[in-house]
Amino acid sequence: MSSVLDVVLSSAFLAAVLRIATPYLLAAFGGLVAERAGISNIALEGQMLSAACTGALVAGYSGSVALGAVSGVAMATLLGVLLAALRLELGADAIIAGIGLNLLASGGTAYAVYSLLDDKGGTSGLKSGSLPTVTLPGVENVPVLGDVLSGQNMVTWLAFLAAPFVAWLFYRTRFGFHLRAVGEMPDAAESVGIAVRRVQYTGLALSGALAGLAGVFLSMGYVSFFVRDMTAGRGFIALAAVFLGGLRPWGVFLAALGFGAAEALAVQLGTLDVPPQLVSTIPYVMTLLALALYAWRRKRRGRAVPAAASL
Amino acid sequence: MTTTPMTLIETEDRRQYRATRRRDFVVDLSMALATILAALAIGFLVMLATGNDPIRAYEVMLTGPLDRSFRVGRWLEDATTLTLLGLSVAIPFRARQISLGAESQVYAGALAAATVAIFVPLPPVVAVIVPMAAAAAAGAGMGLVPGAMKARLGANEIVATLMLNAIVVRVYDYLVNGPLKESGSSAVHSKSIQQDSALTPLSDWFGVPLGRANIGLGVMLLTAVALWLLITRTPLGYRIRMTGANPDFAAYGGIRVPRVIEWSFVIGGAVAGLAGAHLVQGVYGRLEPGLAGSLAFEGIVLALLARNNPLVVVVAGLFYSYLRAGGDIMEQQTDVGTEIVVVIQAVIVLLVTAQALPNLLKRRIARRQVGVR
Repeated sequence: MSSVLDVVLSSAFLAAVLRIATPYLLAAFGGLVAERAGISNIALEGQMLSAACTGALVAGYSGSVALGAVSGVAMATLLGVLLAALRLELGADAIIAGIGLNLLASGGTAYAVYSLLDDKGGTSGLKSGSLPTVTLPGVENVPVLGDVLSGQNMVTWLAFLAAPFVAWLFYRTRFGFHLRAVGEMPDAAESVGIAVRRVQYTGLALSGALAGLAGVFLSMGYVSFFVRDMTAGRGFIALAAVFLGGLRPWGVFLAALGFGAAEALAVQLGTLDVPPQLVSTIPYVMTLLALALYAWRRKRRGRAVPAAASL
Repeated sequence: MTTTPMTLIETEDRRQYRATRRRDFVVDLSMALATILAALAIGFLVMLATGNDPIRAYEVMLTGPLDRSFRVGRWLEDATTLTLLGLSVAIPFRARQISLGAESQVYAGALAAATVAIFVPLPPVVAVIVPMAAAAAAGAGMGLVPGAMKARLGANEIVATLMLNAIVVRVYDYLVNGPLKESGSSAVHSKSIQQDSALTPLSDWFGVPLGRANIGLGVMLLTAVALWLLITRTPLGYRIRMTGANPDFAAYGGIRVPRVIEWSFVIGGAVAGLAGAHLVQGVYGRLEPGLAGSLAFEGIVLALLARNNPLVVVVAGLFYSYLRAGGDIMEQQTDVGTEIVVVIQAVIVLLVTAQALPNLLKRRIARRQVGVR
C-alpha cells in the first residue's frame, strides 16, 4: 500500500495526471458548450480524431507545426458547424448525426492516411513534430512544483485555462447568457429576440474547436504522429464528464481531471501486479454510480422523469 | 370471422388510408435506395479525388462477394452477426430510447456462451442451445442495467450505455488475457469450445465450401421474424410503439411507460447477446481479443436505415455486410482501402438522419394530390 502512496505522491505522477487529463478537459468543455447550447455533441470523438489526423498530416507535409495545429482545429470546428447544420437545416437527430460524423472521421482518417502514406497504422513514417512545451523560468528549479508544472505542453496550459474561460464565457458575457437561454428554452429565447440559430452555430463551432485542440494534443503533443483511432473512446469519456460535472464548468473540470487522474493511476498500477484492465474500469464504474445517484436525487426532489429522449 | 358492413364513407376513408400508406412505403423505399446510391456516388468521388480508379474498385467490390462460394459464406457469416446487432438496437429505438449498449451486450453474451460451451459438459443439441440461452440472458442483464436506470431513475441512457460498454470491454479484455486464456498458448485466446456446442456450418448442408457461415443465419432470420411479430402483433409491441410515438399520450392511455422502456432494453440486450453467442459458437469457436470489433456501432446504422423495422433490418444487414465483404476483396485486389466502406456507411447515416428530406417529399406529394382534386 505504501508503494501505491509513493507513486501517487510523486511529482512524476502529478505531471502525468496533468498530461493525461489534457484531452479530457478540452473535449469535455467542448461537450459542455454544445450541451448548454441545446445540441448534444456525440461527435466529440470524431472531431478529435479528424483534428489529430489533419494536424499530423498538414504539419508533416508543410513542415510547420503551427500550420498543422491550426488546420487540425479548423477541421474540428468545421465538423462542429456541420453537426449544427445537420440538426438545424435538415432536422437530423443530433445523436444519430453525431454517430455518423464519428464513423466518417474513423473511416475518413484511416482512408486518408492509407491513400497518402500507404500505411494502415498511422503517420509514424511522416516527420510532423510536436507543439512546443512551456518551461517556466522561475518555477523550473523549485523542487516538486517545477517537475510538475514546468515542461508541460502548451496545450496542457490551454486546457487548464479553458475552465476559467468557459466559466467566464457562460456567466459573464452576453453570448454566454444567450447560449444558456437557447439551450434551456429555445422558443423563449427566440421570443425575446435572441438569434437562436446563430447562437447554436457559434456554440457548436466553439465546441468543435475545443475538441479539435484536444485532438491536436493527441497527435502533436502526447506523441508526434497520428495512429488510427487513436482517440480510443476519449470523446465518450469526456461526454460522461460533462454529465458527471452536472453541466457546470467547474464541475466538469473536476470530473475530467478525475478521469485523467484515474487513468494515470491505472497506468502506474500496471507495474504493481494489479490487472490494469480492471483498474482502468474504475472511472467508468464511478461515473455509472454517480449517474444513478444524480438521477435518483433529482427524482427524489420531485422533478419529472424524462420518459424518452429525442430520436 | 364475419365482416361488418361498412358505410360508403368508411370504405372511402379506408381506401384513402391505404393509398397514403402505400405512398409512404414507396417514398421510404425509394429514399433508402436514393440514400445508398448517393452514398456510393460520394464514395466514387472520394476515390477519384484520392487518385484511385473508382470504376474498377466498385466492380471488384460489387461482384467480388459472389465470386466464390466461400466468399458467399464470409458474407453470410458477417450478415448474421451484424443483423442481430441491428435488430438489438431497433427494439429500444422503437421505444425512442437511444441505446448505444450493444457493445457491452455482445461481449457479455460471448463471455456467457463461451464459459458454458467450454466448461459445462452437455449432451448434443442441448450443448448448442444452453450456451445460446446463457448468452441471451447475459445480454438481457446488460440491457437491464441502463434500462432500469433510465426507467426508474431517469438517468441518461446514452451515458449509461457508453459507460457500461467501457466497463464490459475492459473486463472482457482482462478475462481473455487472464483467467480464461488458454495456458501454454503463445497467442491470446481462450480454450476452444466443445465440439457439440458449435453451430452447424452451412457447408454440411449445401455441400459447397461456405467458410464459417452456419445455422446462426437461420437463428437470425427467426429472431427477425419473432421481433417483427412482437412489434406488430402483440400487446407489448403495441406499447413499445406507443411509447416511442408519444410517451405522454401512452402514459395517458394507461401504458406503464417505464416498464415498457425497461422491457425494450432487456429484449434488445438478449438479441445482442445472441450475436455474441454466434461469434463464439459459430465463427471463432473460442474467445478472442476484440471479438466483435466495431460491429456493435455498425448495427445502429442498420436500424436507422431500416427505420427500426425488423424485417427491413435483415435486408439492410444483408446489403451492408455485402458491402463490407466487397470492401475487403477490393482492398486485396486494388489499391483502395477497405475504409472507404466506412466512409460510405457514414454518409448513409448522415443522409438517413436528414429526416426532413423524405418528410418534405411526402408533403409535396400530398399537396400535389390535394391540388389535383
